[in-house]
Amino acid sequence: MNGFSLHRAWAIARKEVMHVLRDPFTLALALGLPVMLVTFFGYAIDFEVRDIKVAVADRDNGPAARRLKEIFSASGYFQVLEAADPVGMLDSRRADAALFIEPGFSRDAQGGRPARAQFVLDGSDNSKGAVMMAYLPGIQRAAAARIYGLEPAFAPLSVETRFLFNPELSSRWFMVPGLAVIIIGLLAILLTAMTVAREWENGSMELLLSTPVRPLEIIIGKLAPYGLLVLTGVFFVYLSARLVFGVPFEGSHLLFLLACLLFITAALSQGLFISVAARQQQVAMQVAIISGLLPSMLLSGFIFPVESMPAFFQYFTMILPPRWFMVAARGIFLKGSGLAELAVPLAALAALSLLLLALALKKFKTDLEP
Amino acid sequence: MNACALEVKGLSIKFGDFTAVDDVSFCVNKGEIFGFLGANGAGKTTTIRMLCGLLTPTSGSATVGGLGFSDGGKGIKRIVGYMSQKFTLYNDLTVGENLDFAAGLRKLEPAYAKKRRAELFELTGFDRPLSTMVASLPGGIKQELALAAAMLHDPEIVFLDEPTSGVAPASRARFWALIRKVTALGKTVIVTTHYMDEAEQCGRIALMRTGRLIALGSPDELKASAFPGPMTELDFNGPAPAEFLKGLEKAPGLLELSPHGMRWHAAFRDTSAMAAALAGLPAGASRALIKPSLEDVFIRLVEGTER
Repeated sequence: MNGFSLHRAWAIARKEVMHVLRDPFTLALALGLPVMLVTFFGYAIDFEVRDIKVAVADRDNGPAARRLKEIFSASGYFQVLEAADPVGMLDSRRADAALFIEPGFSRDAQGGRPARAQFVLDGSDNSKGAVMMAYLPGIQRAAAARIYGLEPAFAPLSVETRFLFNPELSSRWFMVPGLAVIIIGLLAILLTAMTVAREWENGSMELLLSTPVRPLEIIIGKLAPYGLLVLTGVFFVYLSARLVFGVPFEGSHLLFLLACLLFITAALSQGLFISVAARQQQVAMQVAIISGLLPSMLLSGFIFPVESMPAFFQYFTMILPPRWFMVAARGIFLKGSGLAELAVPLAALAALSLLLLALALKKFKTDLEP
Repeated sequence: MNACALEVKGLSIKFGDFTAVDDVSFCVNKGEIFGFLGANGAGKTTTIRMLCGLLTPTSGSATVGGLGFSDGGKGIKRIVGYMSQKFTLYNDLTVGENLDFAAGLRKLEPAYAKKRRAELFELTGFDRPLSTMVASLPGGIKQELALAAAMLHDPEIVFLDEPTSGVAPASRARFWALIRKVTALGKTVIVTTHYMDEAEQCGRIALMRTGRLIALGSPDELKASAFPGPMTELDFNGPAPAEFLKGLEKAPGLLELSPHGMRWHAAFRDTSAMAAALAGLPAGASRALIKPSLEDVFIRLVEGTER
């Protein structure tokens, strides 16, 4: 008689679906956000650097100098601009890098002596700078081959880098699977944070409580529809990653679903906790956006790798579900990681979900029960 | 005492140091309209919320429809209907969806819920389609529909917390006619209000002030106990002469003197006290014996003791 009633939870869930269907804002948020994020990160934001403008001061004008310039422009990454004053162009940001080829370059090259050119790059944009630095060894090897006629294999020592799992280092491959973290992290927290606060704000929570309905039934009834809505958003990201961007999916779909469900539980519980504690839609919404978006966006490794964060943040991210989900999502998508490899992230995710759920339930129950 | 639909003995509730309801005892008869009258913060809503099982009393006992609080109010929630002050129905749902939701929370069989819905539509005179959005309904109709939602599970006792606040006067009258129809079915209705004309329509009124029950009885009983002697209305046909009023205030046997618009109500212990006090009434003034209204009672019992 006092047990959990699926019937009442279902009544609440059905009502919640009606709310969503009637509320253009929620509906637009739930459907629009995944589409917007995929378009944004899939097309607009490209972390690959192309067409780096190199201002070249060629004071040699010999055949080897011409060849060096050809190598730069043929790489596809650099755009060579002849310039009398490369430093001035760097200062005025008309060029990203400068190349100085001094007189005698071709003579040295022809004579078999080491020929030197100076490459100056604009360090004020460090991500672009790092990419240029990464491209330079390739240019150097190509120059050795073309100017001296050496095969790369003949070089006394050479480091060859091969990128596994994402051979083209396509940022889309990297970003699009990671979008699931934003969708769950933001959408699930925001939607649930609003739903319970709304009932407090318009006084309907009081009416709910005057019926024999139990806190757990309210929670299940409220969370289930939003969980499903968020899962739909993740499915959309999955489809667009696979079909539009051709991102490979190497791992197990079941495992990916498990990781999603764990993270969704954590996010819904966090939203519920915010809602129960804030009781006002405005406050709940602000807290939800900050606590939902910032960790997912900045601290999960979505954009900035966790490994390159200061030590404090590396430890701090361990209590954030998005960080663990990000590891699992990318691992399953790109590396085909299995349960064994992902034991730690998944266990951490499960533990944090349970903790958040217990916290939300406890706060909810003490508030509701007389 | 067997006819008590609801019985309360020494009920108190404290929130920290604040005593919101202080040692309240009363009995509500079956089929009665029982009103709580009092200023904001007098403890009306808190009392009702306890009796609906939403709050647990700090001390005292109550039986609602024969059930107590030993199960945390769960049993009580099953047998009472409650219409809260603030919320009525979800505006973004249709009439049908709102009622289905209420039925779902109460675990009513669909066929039974449908039958009840028809009965309640008949009772309230609601004749719009089920697909009507609640937001598009006028305030009075919304309130009647909210009562229907609260009565879907056919409760014996219905609690209404200021059901007519913010509703047009004509709709208020309609709603009270509906309340009388509900009690005619043998249901017990407990209602809070701060409208005096509504309180007049209650079978009995519990007058509350700062958490205490200060008077209980039918409107006529309350009037008789607050004003055992005659009451007269003085009309000075203009501003009241200050000296006369000053003298009147000190007159022996005066129980109450209060302004009502341009007129004054004066109540006395008995007829001879009234005759003595009004002997010096200015020439242009007129006087008429009146029956005290509940408002007079309220002023005397609630505000009078606060002075």
